[in-house]
Amino acid sequence: MTDPRAPSTGTAYYTYGVVPLDFPAGALEGAQGVGARPVELVGGDAVAALTSLVSLDEFGEEPLHANLNDREWLERTARAHEDVLERALSAAPVIPFRLCTVYRGRDQVLDLLSERGATFAGLLDRLRGTVELGVKAYLDRARFLEAAGAAPAPASPSGREYMLRRQRERTLDEEREQFKAECARSSHERLAAVALAAQANPPQPPEVSGRTDEMLLNGAYLVEAADGPLAEAVAELEGAYGPRGVSYELTGPWPPYNFVPRDLAET
Amino acid sequence: MSESPDRPLEQQITLLELVDRVLNKGVVLSGDITLSVADVDLVYVGLRVLLASVGTLERLHEGP
Repeated sequence: MTDPRAPSTGTAYYTYGVVPLDFPAGALEGAQGVGARPVELVGGDAVAALTSLVSLDEFGEEPLHANLNDREWLERTARAHEDVLERALSAAPVIPFRLCTVYRGRDQVLDLLSERGATFAGLLDRLRGTVELGVKAYLDRARFLEAAGAAPAPASPSGREYMLRRQRERTLDEEREQFKAECARSSHERLAAVALAAQANPPQPPEVSGRTDEMLLNGAYLVEAADGPLAEAVAELEGAYGPRGVSYELTGPWPPYNFVPRDLAET
Repeated sequence: MSESPDRPLEQQITLLELVDRVLNKGVVLSGDITLSVADVDLVYVGLRVLLASVGTLERLHEGP
C-alpha cells in the first residue's frame, strides 16, 4: 500500500461530484476522503467540485487497474467516496460522479466546471431538497406456496399422486411468475406515484443479492424527505403483499446516483 | 454469531448495494486519468461474481 508520507511520483485530483457554489465548506470539515486524504472544494464560476488531492501511486492509470480488482481497496474507496457524498448531501444538493473519476490537476477540474457549469447548475437546481431512496421487494417462495394452499408432499406418493402433484407444481410456478410480475408492476407504480422521479432497475438474481428469496423489484425513487410518503407507501405495500410472502427493503437516503445522467451529453 | 475472519454476509450485501451505485450509476466523465467504461464494467462484473461466490460459500458452510 502507498505510504502517504513517502515521496510521490505525482498527484492528481480525485473528483467525487459537484455541489452548488454556496456549499457550506464546514460540512466537510474532518471528512476523510479516498486514500485517507482531506476533501477540498474547487470552485468554478457556476458550481464547485468536491475533490481530494491523491497520489498517482494509488490513482494513476496502472495502479488503478490493479486496485479496482483488489476487493479490500475497492470497498475502502467506495465507502470513502460514498461517505464524502453523503456528508455533502446533508448540507446541499450533490451530483455524484462515478467512482474513480480522476483528473491530472486542478486546472483540468476547473476546465470541466467551466465547460459543464451550466448543465451542472441546472441539474443541481432540480435536485435541491431531494434524496434518493432504494426499495427492493423479495418473494419468499415457501410463504407464497403456503398462502396459495399448496399441500406438503406425501412421504411415498403413488404414481397418480406424483403426476397430479407435478401438474399442480407447474401451475403454481406459472402463478408465482405472474404474481411476481404483477406485484413488481403495482409496487413500482404505487411508489412512483409518491416520488418526484422513479427508476426500476433489473432485479438482482439470488446469487448476487445474497438472499434465497427471489428479488422482484429493484427500484430507486427520488423524494423530498427520507421519512415521507414513500416510507408510508412501503408499509402499505408490505401490508397488502406481505401475507403472500413479499417483503420490502428500504435503503438510503442516497445521493441521487440513479437520477443524474450517466452521460452528460444526453442532457 | 461466531467470530469469523470473513465479514458477515450482511456487509457483503451492503457493499454490493453500494458498488451497484458508485460504479453502475452516477455521472461518467472522461477525466484525464480514467478507465474506459468497458473496463469499469468488467471490474463490476468481476466483483459481482466474487461477492456471489462468497455468499454461496457462506450458505454452504451454514449447511442445508
